[in-house]
Amino acid sequence: MDTTTAPPDAKPGHENTNALHTVQAPPAKWQWLTAPFDKPAVRTGAIALLAVLAVLFPVITGDQANIDAAGNAAAYAALALGLNIVVGFCGLLDLGYAAFFAIGAYAYGILTSWQITPDWSGFWVPFAALGLVHKVVQNDHALVHFTVSFWLMLPISGVISAFFGILFGAPTLRLRGDYLAIVTLGFGEIVPIVARNWTGLTNGAAGLNGIASPTVFSYKFGIDATPYYYVGIGVVAFLIFASTRLRESRIGRAWMAIRDDEIAAGAMGINLTRFKLLAFGLGAAFAGMAGTFYVAKLQTATPDMFGFPVSIMILVMVVLGGLGSVWGVVLGAVLLQLLQSWFLGDLTQWVNAFGDAIHNNYLSSIDLTQASELIFGIILVLMMLYRREGLIPANRRQRALSFEQQHATVQTHVRAEDVTLSQIGGEGYIHAPGAVPMLEINDLTVRFGGLVALNKVNITVPAGSVVAVIGPNGSGKSTLFNTITGLVRAGEGSILFQGNEILGLRSDQILKTGIARTFQNIRLFTTMTVAENIMVGLHARLRAGPFSAVFRSPKKLTEEAAGRDWVLEIAKIFGNRLMPRLGQTVVGLSYANRRRVEISRALASKPKLLLLDEPTAGMNTSESLELAEQIKGLHALGLTVLIIEHKLDVVTRIADKVIVLDHGEKLTEGLPEEVRRNEQVLEAYLGRGAAAHA
Amino acid sequence: MSPFDLLLQQFVNGLSLGAMYALLALGFTIVYGIMELINFSHFNVFMIGSFVAMGVLSLFGLSGQTVLLHGFPLVGVLVVALVVTMVACGMLGVGIERLALRPLRGVQGPMAMITTIGVSYVLSNAVMLTMGANTKNFPNPIPSVALHIGTAQITVFQFIIWALSAVLMGGLYLFVQRSKLGKAMRATAQDPDAALMMGVDVNRVIMTAFFLGSALAGAAGFIFGLYYNFTNFGIGFTAGLRAFTAAVLGGIGNIPGAMIGGLLIGLIEAMAGQYIGAKWADVIIFSLLVLVLVCRPAGLLGRLAPTKS
Repeated sequence: MDTTTAPPDAKPGHENTNALHTVQAPPAKWQWLTAPFDKPAVRTGAIALLAVLAVLFPVITGDQANIDAAGNAAAYAALALGLNIVVGFCGLLDLGYAAFFAIGAYAYGILTSWQITPDWSGFWVPFAALGLVHKVVQNDHALVHFTVSFWLMLPISGVISAFFGILFGAPTLRLRGDYLAIVTLGFGEIVPIVARNWTGLTNGAAGLNGIASPTVFSYKFGIDATPYYYVGIGVVAFLIFASTRLRESRIGRAWMAIRDDEIAAGAMGINLTRFKLLAFGLGAAFAGMAGTFYVAKLQTATPDMFGFPVSIMILVMVVLGGLGSVWGVVLGAVLLQLLQSWFLGDLTQWVNAFGDAIHNNYLSSIDLTQASELIFGIILVLMMLYRREGLIPANRRQRALSFEQQHATVQTHVRAEDVTLSQIGGEGYIHAPGAVPMLEINDLTVRFGGLVALNKVNITVPAGSVVAVIGPNGSGKSTLFNTITGLVRAGEGSILFQGNEILGLRSDQILKTGIARTFQNIRLFTTMTVAENIMVGLHARLRAGPFSAVFRSPKKLTEEAAGRDWVLEIAKIFGNRLMPRLGQTVVGLSYANRRRVEISRALASKPKLLLLDEPTAGMNTSESLELAEQIKGLHALGLTVLIIEHKLDVVTRIADKVIVLDHGEKLTEGLPEEVRRNEQVLEAYLGRGAAAHA
Repeated sequence: MSPFDLLLQQFVNGLSLGAMYALLALGFTIVYGIMELINFSHFNVFMIGSFVAMGVLSLFGLSGQTVLLHGFPLVGVLVVALVVTMVACGMLGVGIERLALRPLRGVQGPMAMITTIGVSYVLSNAVMLTMGANTKNFPNPIPSVALHIGTAQITVFQFIIWALSAVLMGGLYLFVQRSKLGKAMRATAQDPDAALMMGVDVNRVIMTAFFLGSALAGAAGFIFGLYYNFTNFGIGFTAGLRAFTAAVLGGIGNIPGAMIGGLLIGLIEAMAGQYIGAKWADVIIFSLLVLVLVCRPAGLLGRLAPTKS
């Protein structure tokens, strides 16, 4: 939580903090079923078939009770889709989601019923003209009757719920996973209690009554289940569409990056607060719309409809269907609704009949419809134990590369001249004598409690240079990087980037100014593909907001296409090491390839200064030298590089200047050859005796 | 009743409730301290504790509101009921850990927490389906002898709650601080991997934590039944959530913190019930929970063990 007390990646082998989604791919035995859906044509066909069936459903069944149950299923599917954005996409565990359902429901209920009837005054005239209120005279007393249209309230409830979502989320979203879960649980408890006790507003436990049913022109929906069903599937269809589009956009990538690794997401320019709030607000908006639809259908609202069991039921739907899987959560919602409205009733009859047959009083009188929560519980436990990825997993298994592809000859003669990139470099980055240095660190001191990790360090990185930082373990190298990139925020002194102070900025702001980094203990987004990982690096250079992501403005489409081209261009630097693997999730990559993905991701943000933290760790000699050539190539394009490296042959090959840190202090700096012979350096690295012999 | 007597009375009531919440909060805190797991099944282990205690008392013919036994026989029955309840709940906790949580050990993220929610549902609904959904009368065998201070009174039962809680909490504290297994528990809380490599049997430590926490929840369930003279399948949620708030308030993972947090929650509930309205007590408690987590996530006393991620 508190970045001032410990460096974020101080622990070796530190794993991702939020591994909600690092679950196994489905077993291969299901491949025959899932494989056809990889083809776009099959998928489009299946969706079309599903849509036709959904539209014809009322005609097929003809039974009001079934249509009514299907309408309820639609409301829950909308809720599950909303919670999926919060928990599935963004990884924020929300145990009080039903609170937003309640807010949307009561917003509609209060503004269309007789619950609140202020005295009539001139103030209401313009609202009456718009049809939002009506003047009603009772016992010679003029009152205001709210009559806001359902169609207007559907989006307004979404906005109201989103407002509460953001209001509540703003102070709480920085909490760690399970603390957030508890806070949301508390909020989810408060809302129904307020609804129960604030009787003036909500009519308390008795519930709101006389909620108006929607009308289309002069047709009143009334108590016929069919029109509600169509509105319901319309809402669900829109939310599926919006969820899918969001998932495939810059927004969705940002959410999944946050879910997989918050620190890396921030370092790649994602504003954590803003995107978490966006997920929370959008999820709340979905719930608000679902609430409005649900009470319009039921024409009543009581506090019991929105308690903790409801939040859990929605969570079960999402977990059952598959966290992060749009179609999965819809399936989960439909299945649980079927369970409640049909299956349990039938099962009760069978068990009762069986009990009668064997003259067992207990069995013949048991009512299993009461047991739906028991079944939710069992489903939750079994899913967690045996199939954590859900019925329709969000991440389908990637086909492994063929033997030939995996062992295809890699480039053996990597030359710096082969590295080309269209959008990095230019004269602006080439060092001119007397120009402002790319990075200027003055008297930087960082303390963790009593430990001084960096003590009055001064470093200058001239534009267009490659500067290497070396030093024994614990000398403060990674702390230096973490402070430059805003992950450690306890620094005193100053860090000027192209003459501007960046100390005190957040990591996403620092990336936007043009500093990108890699991590010593690789921090990739483990559920995303290689290409998606690199695309996340581009986050700060893309503009698409949620609206243009859903409706795919032409600008957004060209932006995405250009982004994909850019990703290809970057991946080409590493030749056929990454190119055939672009569609694979990064968990299946070798250690060296993961490092290459991380460097590519940093390059995607079009940095002016690239910070590499031990990029050749875990690589063999030829791979290290290959990477050194590639770094040289990037440098030749005009990129300034600050690199932490232990392998001295790599350092001498690429560095213009070497800085030696020891115990948080700068020991010396100079040309690689000078530093190599420096006695203090030898002493720090090899000890006193060894230095004497050297 | 004079305003002062009223305040005193609510203080006494609050301390009694608080002792119960503290016992329940300890279970959350012990398990969280060692596994960083919020254990929602704890809610209903507490609920089942009240049912087990009721069952044992009815075996001795104690039911309803009549006082049938006096003196040592009564004390004996109560002690037997307490021990049986605590052991049964402890075993239940160990069973939950073994069957539902151990397979998820090492799985990151909230998977284990979601599992405990599922287990919690299974427990409460299993009780509902077998014992019925109606509220049961819990026996009230303790004579209503009271010490009067002005018009306020402290019943003998309240003294019993305080004494029992003090003994159990003191015992737990000594166990964790002094015994070898307690030392192993503290080591595991700090760093399970290092503890494992130093020869600590982490499975045994976790099972002990579940046993102790669940046994204390059983004692709390017994006290709940005696205090309110009823029980049903749904008592776990509200009481459990208040106790959890207590654990967070004191600093989750911190044993003295859970005790102080429990007492505070009990006092807040009693005072809010008297001066603001009982229906708003939960709103106050949960608002406090939100506030504490937002402003001071480490709680009043802070965590003893470092946060792992």
